[in-house]
Amino acid sequence: MKKIKNRAFAALLLSIFVVAGLGVYVALFLTDGSDWATFTANQTIYQNGVLKTGTVYDRNGVILAGYADGQRIYAQDPIVRAACLHAVGDMSGNIGTGVMTQFADELVGYNPVTGLTDSDGGELHITIDSALNAAAYNALGTRKGAVIICDYTTGEIICMTSSPSYDPLNVPDLTGEFYDGVYLNRCISSTFTPGSVFKIITLSAAIENIPDLYERSFWCPGSVEVAGVAINCSGIHGTQTIEQAFANSCNCAFAELSLELGADTLEEYASDFGLLEQLEFDGISTAAGRFDKDVDGSPGLAWSGIGQFNDLVSPYAMMRLAAAIANGGEAVEPHILIGSDGGSARLMSSATAGEMRDFMSYNVVNNYGEWNFPGLSLCAKSGTAEVGDGTSHAWFVGFLDDPEHPYAFTVMVEHGGGGLSVAGNIANIVLQEAVKG
Amino acid sequence: MEKISQFFESLASDGEFFTGVLGYTKYILPALAIWLLVRCVCSMLAEKYEPEIWGYLKPPRGQFIPIRHWECVIGRSPSSDVVLDFPTISRSHAVLVRNGRGTWRLYDIDSRGGAAVNGEPVPEHGSVVNTGDTIVLADIPLRFEGLSDEQLEMQSSRRHRPGGTISPAFSLFILTMFQFFLAMQFLFSADAEDIASIMLAFCALTVTQWLYYFITRALRRTGIEVETIAFFLCTLGTAVCASSTPDEMLKQMVLTLSGIILFFILGWWLRDLTRVKLMRFPMALCALGALAVTLVFGQDEYGAKNWLSIGGFSIQPSEFVKIAYIYVGASTLDRLYRNRNLIFYIGFSAVCVGALALMGDFGTALIFFVTFLVISFMRSGNIATVVLAVSSAALAGFMMLNIKPHIAQRFASWGHIWEDPFGAGYQQTRALSAAASGGLFGVGAGEGWLHDVFAADTDMVFAMLCEELGLLIAVLAVLAIVVLALFTVKNAADGRSSFYVIAACASVSMMLTQLALNVFGSVDILPFTGVTFPFVSMGGSSLISCWALLAFIKASDTRQNASFVVKASSLFSAEDFEDEEDGEEE
Repeated sequence: MKKIKNRAFAALLLSIFVVAGLGVYVALFLTDGSDWATFTANQTIYQNGVLKTGTVYDRNGVILAGYADGQRIYAQDPIVRAACLHAVGDMSGNIGTGVMTQFADELVGYNPVTGLTDSDGGELHITIDSALNAAAYNALGTRKGAVIICDYTTGEIICMTSSPSYDPLNVPDLTGEFYDGVYLNRCISSTFTPGSVFKIITLSAAIENIPDLYERSFWCPGSVEVAGVAINCSGIHGTQTIEQAFANSCNCAFAELSLELGADTLEEYASDFGLLEQLEFDGISTAAGRFDKDVDGSPGLAWSGIGQFNDLVSPYAMMRLAAAIANGGEAVEPHILIGSDGGSARLMSSATAGEMRDFMSYNVVNNYGEWNFPGLSLCAKSGTAEVGDGTSHAWFVGFLDDPEHPYAFTVMVEHGGGGLSVAGNIANIVLQEAVKG
Repeated sequence: MEKISQFFESLASDGEFFTGVLGYTKYILPALAIWLLVRCVCSMLAEKYEPEIWGYLKPPRGQFIPIRHWECVIGRSPSSDVVLDFPTISRSHAVLVRNGRGTWRLYDIDSRGGAAVNGEPVPEHGSVVNTGDTIVLADIPLRFEGLSDEQLEMQSSRRHRPGGTISPAFSLFILTMFQFFLAMQFLFSADAEDIASIMLAFCALTVTQWLYYFITRALRRTGIEVETIAFFLCTLGTAVCASSTPDEMLKQMVLTLSGIILFFILGWWLRDLTRVKLMRFPMALCALGALAVTLVFGQDEYGAKNWLSIGGFSIQPSEFVKIAYIYVGASTLDRLYRNRNLIFYIGFSAVCVGALALMGDFGTALIFFVTFLVISFMRSGNIATVVLAVSSAALAGFMMLNIKPHIAQRFASWGHIWEDPFGAGYQQTRALSAAASGGLFGVGAGEGWLHDVFAADTDMVFAMLCEELGLLIAVLAVLAIVVLALFTVKNAADGRSSFYVIAACASVSMMLTQLALNVFGSVDILPFTGVTFPFVSMGGSSLISCWALLAFIKASDTRQNASFVVKASSLFSAEDFEDEEDGEEE
């Protein structure tokens, strides 16, 4: 009998297995429970795939989305509804980066102890200023594009709007060219050819790698040949200092710098500045950019330092880079939830950041015209990115060198035309609204 | 019926008062369940109970050696029950066995030195040993002293009885409170036309458990922790039924009662080991017959051809074969030593598992297989046999995956349910989603939505418990079965016959396997096999067979006056064994 008794441990092993499995389940329950609970088939909180609980507020307490009396509610103003659609999210979860999808667990008031039994749902307060968003959306008008602004001292994203958009309470027919890519938040989920705004990266690399940069003069006859291929410039700039070359956005000068720096250095800087990787803010992923290295001395290498060739960046990453320059090289990681803290990352030395700030300020003072941006203390770089079909993406990237209004921004208009004239104009409208508020 | 219905509806309509109560019952229910389980654990596992003593062996020099079981191995090995550390004694020398009639026999198990009783060598079929007889093993003489009636009586009165410090009646009272508050929750969630039948079902369950208590009192039995746990699980099963199929409450109660009656009958049958041994072969035949009939006439339901329809009732014969399987598999120690051959049992197992595989009932085949491993290991202690069995089964299982596409698909989606939540992962993603919704305390009985999903009240019942009653109660339900297993393992040290110990361990192993496949299958920790949660899942055959398995567990509980399946030791001296109290049948 003693032998039989000893063999009874077989049943004990099974018990241990069951208890261990139960432990695994409880651990998963505690870690993944919020994902399970917010699955759209959960009838406790979803009705036909629409969340039926929780409220999203903007930074000023304006309700952006909520649920009351069995109905989903959105902001009262139809323009605000459209302007904030991508930040908030649509009814059916097609806009995956919207906070309603990303923070569904907080919206539904989930926690592992009470589950979803607090039926009133949670509240989500986001850093967006819905009125500013509406202004930006209006400024974009019917053009496709993106406007994103953050406070570079705190990281709060105060404006993030993407066009085309629509009023989620009166959903139009979304087929057709006009609504192409309507579910994409162009600020964070799309990448575009950057054109001349990429010269911010090339110039930063030149500051740190070319000792006699400031002593040099750059010759622009309107076009240079690289390995038998012409690199055309927007004008004939003649002899220039580096400040003038950057303000003129001179392709001849930057082709020369690119060839001198080499593909490896350019890629290293683009990578260090966070342009090539998938970034995250509050757990929301952004689209990774692209930089292809061409061989030494090639026209491809020259063009890649000018923001053409195969270069791609997201408006979000450009804004983050501008924010870092404005903040002495240290990027306070942007965020959209009030009270969250993503830490910070140093993208460049404070010396380089200071020099870049002076360059970008020089652009506005000596080329773009301060009268175009009254009272803004603007530092910026424009970009007119040729996309190969004869049109250009219009870019305007920069920041306000103003402790009262520490805003970094990207304005991008798809196939919009001139960087300064189109994107610069929108930036002025939105920033005037931002400093007024 | 009409009046009862109106009464409950009027209760439910008095919302103000009850909404307040409902808010608290959520927290009261797990508290009561924990209290109940802790009391059972203390009584079953923490308290110390003295083993039974049936006689003594007196070596030439030295102390009396107590005989603690009906089957004792005498030998030099430390794992013998009576250790005789003399060089002439074989490691396992002889077996001393007591039959149901109180007669002791000595069997020589191929010892080198031989064995004799009163000078006569022990023949193949053993020698009867009476009190005062001298057993000689090799050259060692031992005097055998059985206990007299008075001594047995005295032992009975001295041994610690369960229920003394932890009252079983109070535990049942806690369970009654649990049932009361659970039923209250249904007053709000259930449809008006179902309320009466749900309330009556809970009342019937409460009445049944108290009736059970009084019957065991009448039998002077005080150890009913095992049954209390079963009633607790049945309460959860009743709640699941009330939530998913409230129109089947009556059926659920009838099935529970049938299970308890079968529990009594089997338990009573198991009291007499001689009777038990006689029926092993007929039981094996019955099991094979049932499987054969199912294979021929069985109906295909959801990919498994394991249902028989008899007179409007659907039964799953494999559930009843489980009982026979354990009955046939367990064996007494003398047989284990004299006939080490597992061939018959292996063959029987292969036929059973094969038949289940042919039916496409993969989950049940797996349960049988694990039980086979446990039984064959306990019988032979031979790891090699077990390894051989595992590898051959793995091969068979692999072939089965190729033959049965729906099983292969379940393996393919294992761990990947979120990649296909509207296809292969449909059920489990919903199970997890609903389970998470409940948090620790649940959304309230009958308030969930998972019960609308296919097989929620059977295969995914664990998730349903999580959703409606909360993680705490769901975990307690699993732990309740684990407690039964620990209790059985603990009892193994004091079992009277290896038959009871093996059968009890096999029963809990079967329950644990079923539990693991059900719980972990529904939450994607194991592949989804679609078996039932013991006592909780809907399904009559399963519920009845679980109660029957409980009889095996009760048969291993040798604490004084604990189990009606175990005869009081003092009763064995009575002349006529058919005359003992047998008022067990209701």
